[in-house]
Amino acid sequence: MPLNRDVLWYKDAIVYQVHVRTFHDSNGDGIGDFQGLEGKLDYLEELAINAIWLMPFFPSPLRDDGYDIADYNAVHSSYGTLEDFRKFLGSAHDRGIRVIIELVSNHTSDQHLWFQESRSSKDNPRRDWYVWSDTDTRYKGARIIFLDTETSNWAWDPISKSFYWHRFFSHQPDLNYDNPAVREQMWNVMKFWLEMGVDAFRLDAVPYLVEREGTNCENLPETHDVLKELRRKLDEHFPGRMLLAEANQWPADLRPYFGDGDEFHMAFHFPLMPRMFMGLKLEDRKPITEILQQTPEIPPSCQWSLFLRNHDELTLEMVTDMERDYMYDMYAGSKTMRLNLGIRRRLAPLLDNDRRRIELMNGMLMSLPGTPIIYYGDEIGMGDNINLGDRNGVRTPMQWNGGWNGGFSTAAPERLYAPLIEDPVYGYPAVNVLRQKASEHSLLNWMQSIVTVRKSTTVFGRGSIEFLYPANHRILAYVRRLGNEVVLVVNNLSSTAQAVELDLRRYKGNILIEMFGKNIFPRVGDLPYLLTMGPYQFYWFRLRRI
Amino acid sequence: MLLEARLHDGAVFRTETKVAEESYLTDDFLRQLMNVGEVDILVGLPTHNNAKTVGSIVHTIQSGILRGFPRERAVIINADGGSRDGTPELVTGVSIDDVRPASNLQALRTLHSISTKYASSSRSASGAFRTILAAAELLRPKACVVMSPESANIQPEWLSKLLRPIFDDGFDLVTPIYRRHKFQGLLITNLLYPMTRALYGLRIREAYSPEFGFSGRLGSQFLGQNVWSDETEGAGVELRFTLAAITGKYRICQSFLGDKDRIERRAVDLVPALRQTAGALFSALEPDFPVWSVVTGSQPAPTTGSDQEVLLEALRVNRKRLREMFLAGIAELESVFQSILSPSTLAELQSIAHLGEEEFRYPAELWVRTVYEFAASYQKSVISRDHIIQALAPLFRGRMFTFLTENRNASAGDVEKNIEDLCLVFERLKPYLLQLWKTRE
Repeated sequence: MPLNRDVLWYKDAIVYQVHVRTFHDSNGDGIGDFQGLEGKLDYLEELAINAIWLMPFFPSPLRDDGYDIADYNAVHSSYGTLEDFRKFLGSAHDRGIRVIIELVSNHTSDQHLWFQESRSSKDNPRRDWYVWSDTDTRYKGARIIFLDTETSNWAWDPISKSFYWHRFFSHQPDLNYDNPAVREQMWNVMKFWLEMGVDAFRLDAVPYLVEREGTNCENLPETHDVLKELRRKLDEHFPGRMLLAEANQWPADLRPYFGDGDEFHMAFHFPLMPRMFMGLKLEDRKPITEILQQTPEIPPSCQWSLFLRNHDELTLEMVTDMERDYMYDMYAGSKTMRLNLGIRRRLAPLLDNDRRRIELMNGMLMSLPGTPIIYYGDEIGMGDNINLGDRNGVRTPMQWNGGWNGGFSTAAPERLYAPLIEDPVYGYPAVNVLRQKASEHSLLNWMQSIVTVRKSTTVFGRGSIEFLYPANHRILAYVRRLGNEVVLVVNNLSSTAQAVELDLRRYKGNILIEMFGKNIFPRVGDLPYLLTMGPYQFYWFRLRRI
Repeated sequence: MLLEARLHDGAVFRTETKVAEESYLTDDFLRQLMNVGEVDILVGLPTHNNAKTVGSIVHTIQSGILRGFPRERAVIINADGGSRDGTPELVTGVSIDDVRPASNLQALRTLHSISTKYASSSRSASGAFRTILAAAELLRPKACVVMSPESANIQPEWLSKLLRPIFDDGFDLVTPIYRRHKFQGLLITNLLYPMTRALYGLRIREAYSPEFGFSGRLGSQFLGQNVWSDETEGAGVELRFTLAAITGKYRICQSFLGDKDRIERRAVDLVPALRQTAGALFSALEPDFPVWSVVTGSQPAPTTGSDQEVLLEALRVNRKRLREMFLAGIAELESVFQSILSPSTLAELQSIAHLGEEEFRYPAELWVRTVYEFAASYQKSVISRDHIIQALAPLFRGRMFTFLTENRNASAGDVEKNIEDLCLVFERLKPYLLQLWKTRE
């Protein structure tokens, strides 16, 4: 299947997020690699996803799972070679699957040659590629993000006897984007991959590119200038490619990252995700409708990116203290499940492995405005291992079958980059791709079904949304509309059966066609449309005037 | 999923008729309850023409919920007796968003306020209470509270104080204790509290209150009792609720709320008040006889919060008028008293009626005997029960005169001691009531 030529392809995409290390090991060294990933593209094609987002695969000391890059223009030897990547990319494109890679633009590893040169001497030409200071008192307004490990945003470098600026781990010095050479170099990095055929970049930690005294050093106009410059070059030289922003901010603060359609094409909607979990636990649509009401309009060419879980902790930065306490109590009873301001758990354990809730959450993910991202393994309900440090508990090997190492690798188990999940509920003998493929009603097959239904219309990716506010607050209902195409989505957030009356008078005369079974429901009349819904049930209805 | 097949002919959910002949909840109210669904906290708000106060009361309730129960599912049920001043609209119109900015509070959930007009003769708030209990029956709350639509000094903390013992500690009924002026609530201190305590053996200071908390199971049990007939409707159903909790051996505690309104917001006629309290208490004695007849002495009820202490500021009370009404009653109702009171009690009352203002005293023992004889007569229905209650009014005024006189310069401790002494007289003379009861049989 060739790639579609639509420059707005990202609006209709279903993205699958995976770390090459975790997916499949082709050479038996215990670490997933590009040949292994390429070998599993058929699986992803069957799942019907049409974009892959790869976590960093570049040379790195791996002190932050690859987000500490030591060389932007190469592939980490554990994962293969540049040639392996090229081959994988071509195979993905052959299947109509686009590839999004990481551009960790804010910082490098302290092992990167640029930093090694920068710290070597104050006279080094690359000295100004990073943010140096004689004191650690500058930019006091900037918060510390990794509260569990860092006490300051400055770190002392004994070699050059100066402090360097880092918003994340101290081994990740921030690049100095006030330096035109850095900006030019970062464009060169992008160009390197774009010329190879990469379809998009996920730009990591974009709010922090530029620092200014007297500010919180986040979302600064100068940062937007840097990003706009990159976008301009991208459009000029590589039209149809896409930039995705990682900016864990409130919706109003995120809005500038779209600019006038001249900055990012997409941005993650971070505040929505925890509120979906909150709404589910509260059995109340309020958290979800509230945050979406606060979400500003974005330019027509732009898109939100939605997710339930990813490689990081379930971030609770964008919630109030009260909401955070609630989320901790409801979803992270054990303190070992908490990390920084978040919860380091996968989707299935968060939802008590309740198939109905997993389906409902995925139903909302696929039907709310935005491009959904599925985190690898969540399509089969993989578990996590909270005994592994940092966020490694949600980055364990993919579970392909119930055999040796879950089909991930032929290596000795002790050589695996991380142990497989082995507990009785989520362990690979119980939860694996092979088993679920064989079961008609497995979560995997259900996921394939919902992705297919979602892709059957562009209304979910491109349509407007209008919330209905039925008196029953346990029901989250909305109408998605694109031209003449209208889809009604009704979600029961409650663990019990609910009746709901929907005011559909403006759609009087339409019949409802349930999109999964394609069954016809009665015509909309003058009266409220009554539905009774089972626990955690949801419906997608196509409205047709026939 | 079921689709309502009759939707298009409109037969099902859009009528205003009752769901069944015997139902006292309208379909519209049921539909609202359906939308609310199961809750953790239910706040009942009975109203009737309370537009002047109800808006701020609802704000306070919402604030109390946000502060005390931010995570719980909560609903405010307004049972209105047919207000013509827009009270229900005010209740449902108060937005939670009005509360949040001022108090820096946040609601995690939807907070519902729904209103219904209760089907009742509106003789009392019993129709409202029944509606609230019915809503509780359907919404299955863990804890409920009824709040007065008139309390001028209601505080957000009152909700927690009335609900927490139920929510956290498994109590079934939480009655309030207020800090009152020493001359406030005389019907409670001189009749209701001491007599309830003597009869049922539990020291509940405010057995009849416009604010109280209760568990869903107590509400459900009481809703099923035969107390809602036309004959008894309006007769202090809140007091009967407390008595039902005692006789049903539910767990009861008291919670100190704070200051009670210093000045009643509207003058309450004594006779209706007596109907609601003494009348309800007297009428409960027959069904509750197996319980109270074997009780001796009394036990304190568990109490949370500070001890109540009466306030002592000067308060102008027209004592002279009270005595005049007592004297007029003695003179005009002699034939009525003859059928209610024993000859000796009547003679003593006539005797004190001849005393001058300075010497006038209505002694505690005589007062207790009077009340007990009224209770027994009420049961015998020697004359119309309503006439019996009306006849008690002038005598109570005489007792009020004495209480005011005796406590005019009393300290808080003295006042409390005098109330306690009266309670002990009620307890000591309880055999006299039993004797009257046996005589009746």
